[in-house]
Amino acid sequence: MASLPKRIIKRLVSDPVPGITAEPHEDNLRYFQVTIEGPQQSPYENGVFHLELFLPDDYPMEAPKVRFLTKIYHPNIDRLGRICLDVLKTNWSPALQIRTVLLSIQALLASPNPNDPLANDVAEDWIQNEDGAIATAREWTKRYAKPN
Amino acid sequence: MSTYEEEHNTSANNASRNTIRDHFREAFQEGGDSGNLLELLSQMMPQALQEELLNGPEKGCPEYYIESLPRVPKEKLKPEESCSICCCNYRDDNYPLVVFLPHCSHRFDFECLAVWLSKSTTCPLCRDDVIAHRQEIDITQVELEEDWGMYG
Repeated sequence: MASLPKRIIKRLVSDPVPGITAEPHEDNLRYFQVTIEGPQQSPYENGVFHLELFLPDDYPMEAPKVRFLTKIYHPNIDRLGRICLDVLKTNWSPALQIRTVLLSIQALLASPNPNDPLANDVAEDWIQNEDGAIATAREWTKRYAKPN
Repeated sequence: MSTYEEEHNTSANNASRNTIRDHFREAFQEGGDSGNLLELLSQMMPQALQEELLNGPEKGCPEYYIESLPRVPKEKLKPEESCSICCCNYRDDNYPLVVFLPHCSHRFDFECLAVWLSKSTTCPLCRDDVIAHRQEIDITQVELEEDWGMYG
């Protein structure tokens, strides 16, 4: 890569976060393969979720693009894996780093917010029948987010 | 040799241009229907400009504000201090151009901060609105001066 900003390189060696990995792709150092472990005491516990993260040309002036590859039952994540999270959109700041973004996503798994939904049907389910929705989320985690 | 149209990549649009021009002629001759005219005018605007008018210009700080940010002298920079936008040590540069935001004192490379403030009005670290704070400060200064006038 010609001129990858120093911050990206630095990020690769900076302190690892427990339960989160981010590996740059061999052919494209702006493309990362990410795994996030489901937080304990959440319906995603014991699951390992795969995500893709892409740093646009304007990064860090523009937020990284992040998407779930593993199917997940969550009111703020739609069926295409797109994530509704303020720091990825309007609340982005160039002082945020890849690790802080991934930590925010892990926190979103720990506390779903059905009042600001991206997946409307899931959010509705979550509000009307929380126990049932959590059971579905657990089942999906067991089925799709198997640790290797 | 290529023609002017080819060079400026306009020939493909000629047909639609002519139609728009015809519509214009009609609209002006009719005289009355201004809704029609507005629609035509908006068709002639480049897409980017249309979007800018609809969504408002991109939010950011005025250039004079960015240019006026106070500079941090090199002696005041700690050896390990780095810019939180690019993560580079200020001291790695022999002539670091570092500025700080007056209301929160957060420091950044001028180049990094200038790019961010051209599209946003918030401090990257504390998210405070730099423009709002600037106005507050200005107003108090004005009042102060008036008071001095009254009692002086």
